[in-house]
Amino acid sequence: MFNVLDIVSAPQTEMMMLYIIAIIAVPFAVGVIFDKNVIRSGFLLIGVFGGISAIFLLLKAPFLALAQLMIYAVGITLVVVIALMLTSTQLNSEIASEEQDIENEPAIMQLMDKTKRAFPFLVAWLSFLTIYLSLRTEGWMPLNKAAEGVDNLETIGTALTTSYSLPFEFASVLLLAALIGAIMLAKAQTSVDLDPSEVQNQE
Amino acid sequence: MEHNSPAELEKETGTPPNMIMTYAYCGIVFLACCFIFGISTNAGGEKIIQDNNMDVIFFFILTILGITFRYMLNCSPSCCFAAGALGSFVVLTVGQDPIIKYLTLAALLFAIGMYGMVVSRNAVRVLMSIELMLNAVNINLITFSRFVDPADVKGQLFAIFILTVAAAEAAVGLAIVLSLYRNMSTVDMQRFNLLKW
Repeated sequence: MFNVLDIVSAPQTEMMMLYIIAIIAVPFAVGVIFDKNVIRSGFLLIGVFGGISAIFLLLKAPFLALAQLMIYAVGITLVVVIALMLTSTQLNSEIASEEQDIENEPAIMQLMDKTKRAFPFLVAWLSFLTIYLSLRTEGWMPLNKAAEGVDNLETIGTALTTSYSLPFEFASVLLLAALIGAIMLAKAQTSVDLDPSEVQNQE
Repeated sequence: MEHNSPAELEKETGTPPNMIMTYAYCGIVFLACCFIFGISTNAGGEKIIQDNNMDVIFFFILTILGITFRYMLNCSPSCCFAAGALGSFVVLTVGQDPIIKYLTLAALLFAIGMYGMVVSRNAVRVLMSIELMLNAVNINLITFSRFVDPADVKGQLFAIFILTVAAAEAAVGLAIVLSLYRNMSTVDMQRFNLLKW
C-alpha cells in the first residue's frame, strides 16, 4: 500500500527530508528576524511553522503536526498579522536615524556601540555551541533507534482523558481566562472609565 | 513598509550591501558543507570527523568568516546570518545520530529566536521570536518522546500543553501590544519605559 509517511520515514530518506526542511525553515526563521518589512516577516513565520510541522511528521507525531498547522501556521500567524496591520509602524526611519547618530560619534564610541550591539549575537552563538557540545558528548546508547509506528493518537487520547485529565481541565480554564483577559485588554476603554452621570455633567 | 518620502527611500538605499561578496560567502559555506559531507561518506569518515573535532573547527571558521564578511566587506547581514546558520547546522550534524540532528536543529531555532527577541525593536516581532523559541522546545520534546519513550508518548503530551499555553500567550501578548499602541502610539520596544524601575 502506498503511504507517504512510510516512504518519508524510511531511515535513508528521513535524514534527507530533515535537511530539506532545515534548508527551508532556517532561512525563513532568519528572515522573520531580519526582514525590514514586518508584515512580510509575519508571513515568513507561516513557512517556519509549516517546516516545524513537517518535522513533527518526520518524528511520527501526526496529531501534533496537524495541531501545529492549525494552531500556529493559521491561528497565531493570523492574529500576529492582524496585530501588525493594526499597529502600522514607522520603525525604519527610527533605526536609520539611530545609525546616523552613531556615525557622528568619535571612533572609539563607534567601536563600543558596535560591540554592544554584537553582544546578543555572542550570547545566542555561545548558547547554541554549548547545547551542541553537550549533545555531542552525551552517550546516547540505550536509544530505541527505529521506533516502530505505534498508533500515537490512541495513546494520547487515553492519557489525556485518564492520567492527564486534571492538567487538561486546567488548560481549558487557562484558555478561557486568556480569552477574557485578551478581550478586556484590547477593548476600547473610553466607555469604561466614564460614569454616565459624569458624562451628563460634562455636557 | 511604505516609504513616505523620497528622502527616506534614499536613506535606506544609501549603502547597498555588497552582493558579490555575499554570494562569495554563500559559496564558501556551500563548499565547506560539501567538503565535510564528502569526508563523512568515506568508510570511517564519521569517526575521523569526531576524533579531530572537525565539525566544531569548521563551525568556528564559518562564524569568523561570516563576521569578517559582514563587517569588513559590507555584506547583506540577513544573507550572511542565514547562510552561516544553515551551513553550521549542516557542518555540525553530518554523520551524527538522528537524535543529535533533530536536537541541533531545535537548538539552532532556539538561538535564532533568542537573538531576535533581544535585538528586535518591534514588539510584535519580539512576540514572533518567542513563538519561535516555544516551537524549538516542542521539537525537543517530541524528539525525546520518539527516541527515548516511544511506547507511551509523554513528550507529545507536554507538547500539547505547551501549544495551549503558547496560544494563550500570543493572544494576551498581542492584546497588551495593542493597548500599548493605543496609549503611546508606538510599538518600539525602546520607548516602552513605563515599567522601568
